[in-house]
Amino acid sequence: MNSWVRENLWRHALAISICLFSLFPLYLVVLSSLSTGGSLHLTSFVPTEISFNNFKYLFSSPKIPYLHWVQNSLVISTTVAISSVVIGAASAFAFSRLKFKGKKFGIQLLLLVQMFPAILALSAVYVIMERVYKFAPSIGLGSQTGLILVYLGGSMGVNIWLLKGFVDSIPAELDEAAKIDGASAVQTYWLIFIPLASPVLAVVCLLSFIGTFNEFILARLFLVEMNGRTVAVGLQQFIGGQYSQNWGPFAAGSILASIPIVIIFLSLQKYIVNGLTAGSVKG
Amino acid sequence: MSGFMRGNVALMGKIFILAMVTAILSLLTEHAFVQKEYAIGSFILFAIIALNFTYLTKFSIPLKFFVPGILFFIAFVIAPIIFTLSMSTYHYQTGNILGKDESTAQVLALGAEPDAAGTTFDINIGKTTSGEDAILVSDIVNNKYFISTQTSRTEVPIDALTLNADKVATGAQGFTLLSADALSKSDAYSKINYKYMGKYYIAIEGQNVGAVFQQSLSYNAADKTIRNVVTGAIYKDNGRGNWAKVGAPDEMLTPGWRAPIWFENYTKLITDPKVRTPLIKVFIWTVIFAGMSVLSTFALGLLLALALNRKLRGRRIYRSILILPYAMPSVMSILIWAGMFDTEFGAINNILHTHIAWFSDANYARGAVLLVNLWLGFPYFYLICSGSLQAIPTELQEAAAIDGANPRQIFRKITLPLLLQILSPLLIASFAFNFNNFNLIYLLTGGGPRETLDGQIAGATDILISYTYQIAFGNNTQDFGLASAISVLIFVLVASISMYGLKKSKVLETFG
Amino acid sequence: MNRKRLGLLGVIASAALAISATVVPAAHAASEILIWADETRGPHLTTLFADHPNVVPGSTIKVVTFSSYDALGAALDKVTGTTGPDIFVGGNDWVTKMAKSGKLAPVTLTATQKSKFAATNFFDLSYQGKLYGVPVDINNVAMVYNTKLVTTAPKTYGDMVDFYKANKVSKGLKAGLCITGGGMAWGGLSGLSALGADPYFMRAKGVPDVYKGFNGTTFGNNVKKYLLDANGKSNGFYPATDTGCADNFKAGLVPYATIGNWEWKTYEKLGFTMNFMPVPGVVAGTYGHMFGSVNGAFLTTYADKHGVAVAAKSLLTNYFASAAGQIAYEAIELRPPANLDAQASASVSDAQKNMANAATLAGIPQIGAFLGSNAGGASYWDSSGGYWTAVLVNGKDPVVEGKKLAAIWKKNVAVGKADL
Repeated sequence: MNSWVRENLWRHALAISICLFSLFPLYLVVLSSLSTGGSLHLTSFVPTEISFNNFKYLFSSPKIPYLHWVQNSLVISTTVAISSVVIGAASAFAFSRLKFKGKKFGIQLLLLVQMFPAILALSAVYVIMERVYKFAPSIGLGSQTGLILVYLGGSMGVNIWLLKGFVDSIPAELDEAAKIDGASAVQTYWLIFIPLASPVLAVVCLLSFIGTFNEFILARLFLVEMNGRTVAVGLQQFIGGQYSQNWGPFAAGSILASIPIVIIFLSLQKYIVNGLTAGSVKG
Repeated sequence: MSGFMRGNVALMGKIFILAMVTAILSLLTEHAFVQKEYAIGSFILFAIIALNFTYLTKFSIPLKFFVPGILFFIAFVIAPIIFTLSMSTYHYQTGNILGKDESTAQVLALGAEPDAAGTTFDINIGKTTSGEDAILVSDIVNNKYFISTQTSRTEVPIDALTLNADKVATGAQGFTLLSADALSKSDAYSKINYKYMGKYYIAIEGQNVGAVFQQSLSYNAADKTIRNVVTGAIYKDNGRGNWAKVGAPDEMLTPGWRAPIWFENYTKLITDPKVRTPLIKVFIWTVIFAGMSVLSTFALGLLLALALNRKLRGRRIYRSILILPYAMPSVMSILIWAGMFDTEFGAINNILHTHIAWFSDANYARGAVLLVNLWLGFPYFYLICSGSLQAIPTELQEAAAIDGANPRQIFRKITLPLLLQILSPLLIASFAFNFNNFNLIYLLTGGGPRETLDGQIAGATDILISYTYQIAFGNNTQDFGLASAISVLIFVLVASISMYGLKKSKVLETFG
Repeated sequence: MNRKRLGLLGVIASAALAISATVVPAAHAASEILIWADETRGPHLTTLFADHPNVVPGSTIKVVTFSSYDALGAALDKVTGTTGPDIFVGGNDWVTKMAKSGKLAPVTLTATQKSKFAATNFFDLSYQGKLYGVPVDINNVAMVYNTKLVTTAPKTYGDMVDFYKANKVSKGLKAGLCITGGGMAWGGLSGLSALGADPYFMRAKGVPDVYKGFNGTTFGNNVKKYLLDANGKSNGFYPATDTGCADNFKAGLVPYATIGNWEWKTYEKLGFTMNFMPVPGVVAGTYGHMFGSVNGAFLTTYADKHGVAVAAKSLLTNYFASAAGQIAYEAIELRPPANLDAQASASVSDAQKNMANAATLAGIPQIGAFLGSNAGGASYWDSSGGYWTAVLVNGKDPVVEGKKLAAIWKKNVAVGKADL
């Protein structure tokens, strides 16, 4: 008993206190989303009443086209996640498996360039897309397609780098065997590599989805019309420092928007953690 | 047989997709060239050629894998970086954002001065019998009516006019009104200076209003100066993007243009105390912020990983709760925290029974930023550390235990050094990430508080990237040139840190 | 390249051509006037032009709504010449910056049209002597007092402070006077000015006095006297931020509040009396100045590039500046119209008219050239809030900070006058 206390008590105590730290803001948001006034003010830790007014407001107020926002976020994030993995996987495969001139240079360039603070290249991206708008409004500034293209370009470096880490961890014996059997690189890619790597691709896809879902600087610049916003931009603009007035619906909105992400994350945590380390750590 | 079929289907599919892509891109190229966007048009053309060449020849197999990625990479990563680099060599800020030609054209357009009385006339827009653009002008004060073209002004006798109740002409013989449709289809008629008296002309200021102007500024192509014909003042290109008055260089015509000043934005970082002082302050805080963030998140993460690194009742639940902050979309959590720190309504003051204005005091604000970042970041290191702890071979620890070392010694002498060795690249990556953790600062404190009365531009929690954003997109003067120069500086710093980290982890050696 | 591949290329090229041909290029609608506005004005303008589609013969009007005033400002900052609006509707905060950068185009009003507006209205919309927009409606704030708490109108600033001190505990007051509309810098000018801090002064004929600054010591001592307790801490009468002001005022926990002229309807619906008045000064009969500025509809240089300059000018002068246009618009937007004929119209509500009166009593034009200048180290917008934070939150000396504020504003005016 004594040894159990010595060995385990501090562990539980630490874990519980940090769990409380983790949960505190989240609990608070849930609490205020369910309160009538939606006040940020903490009256008691136990809800005295439960009301769904804030959620109702979210789906009925013309001030927050919440469903549009969610839909936009889903469309944009899904498109970016899938396309960037499709394009990125091919490049990662080439970097990992094929031999060619300039490979080392290419990968170093990739690595270096993605360290450029993307936010500061913002005005440049803006100018480019503004010009694109001039001749092709549907893929230029202000369009979701345009934003998707920019995201795709921006995510290329990180994704290739991440995917390459994964690909490196897949044993090369199989595709070497295929090579001996006379398969071309393209065949090896489609018939052997893709089936093998599909779980990994799915994880990168999800990471990319979450990353895109979270982005708001570019999205804010690109998507100006109320119905065209993403959830992140919409809610950020909605709260806009008005913590007293808009807190309730904001709390409700951010909970709803977070739930799918949290579920995805928790259910795939093992793979995601591998993904986080693979990009930088080997072996 | 089936292989042949499959091969054919694949080929057909490839050709179809390639044709589609080529079609769309060709269309875009055409549009781009029509709109005179040559750089972008050429790039798309290059993309078409590259795609078709790669997929129709056997020139290079790796290229078939790379081309789409490379094209995106060039368009949206490399091009903006090059653009930013070039911006950093320009005098490019509020007041100097147009190209030189456009700016000069606008300066001259603004040189149109109304006459002293600010005379305006009711007009009708139309054409003369010969098809020349003309306006029918009603000077109802003087009871005069005339038709003006660019070169001539003809008075129209009353009996040749149709007048309305206000004595404004609505039509005249020899004058065809433009229909509403024609008015909106072309605007060539609006660019004409219609003849009035002497140096004065009439410009169209609305579908039925004309105003009397004289052109006070004129460009002299011979000596490349602008001359004010009324005052006689002469303006010269000052080499920094403005037409400045000869003899009084502070008197400049607006708007200016972006002009190359080469390395001035960079030298300013060192020589101009107004730029240098806040920059140094911000840099120091950035390093402290990033360092403390890494240390605190790593320490807490590691502690938790150690605590939970054994079979423990409820470990799975703990784990799920502990990574919640990491799983939440960070934009949402930061905004939630910002609300919690609110002075009047925030839960934090509420619980502590205090009335602290968290984001108005430099130290409180910094503390808050670090606390929130700890909340956001510790789960990452917790996950990483637990993974790595399991990866450390237990033999060493067991051997040490047999040698009589206590757990604390084992941790300090064996586990921690091993862990640090494994994790050092991640720690460095985390440092680099926090160095540029724009979202946190921007959404939580906006970089503040700032002692505005003491002329501070940089806030107490501003890190380099948020400070630069403020310079580039802030409220008053927006200095893109200077901001770009600082961006380049940040890039060099972060890239060096990361490269050092990667070298250390020997990742680069496995590139071959 | 062998023949087979050449053939393939041919197939692709012809397929590409065929597809291109079927896609009709999206031609820019040359006759469309594009208007940008923020989240309150945008929907109103959309309604307005849905009801009145043909105000400019031959042109259609499209309104794009931004999520917030700040988002609109950020977008206007970034437009560089191809995607901008032809017209934008909003406050005059951006005139100086945009005109300087060549994003605005001048507008000409006829003498008759000009006579329909107060001469000071044009300050707000001008830069270096050129007019860049037309006045649409009055943009101001006014103080209201909660008649359930206070029965008579306060005559001096001291009256309000006394009431607050006397009832703070018994009525559980959260503050004495706070700002619900327009933020601490714009909406809160009267709070500063009532105690003696003005960013600039106007001469009798509506001409700004570019040499006179306010007395930092007097102002600082007033702050000390009315807003601080014996220990130099805020006595809670005037909060340093506007957070929660609206809620507290609605809940009857604040007796006096400065509300914006776009939000009075909300309070009226809650049963408040719209007893608009300027914030009283320290001496009876004087009032704190407020920005009685105008919102404008501004013409951009893109209108010319889009080929709609004439149509856009017509829309501005014949509709936005006209009595008929403003009456139709203000029936939805509910601010006091700027056009004097429209202001006198019977269809404009009493509350709108009272707001306009408050502006006449104590309004000063919002001169961007002075307010946006940061020659003194910080613009008016940044330094005014900075003062309250320094004194009321961080406990700095009100006189010392007051002198700093006076010095900054004086320098801003001295340099900013070049842009008038």
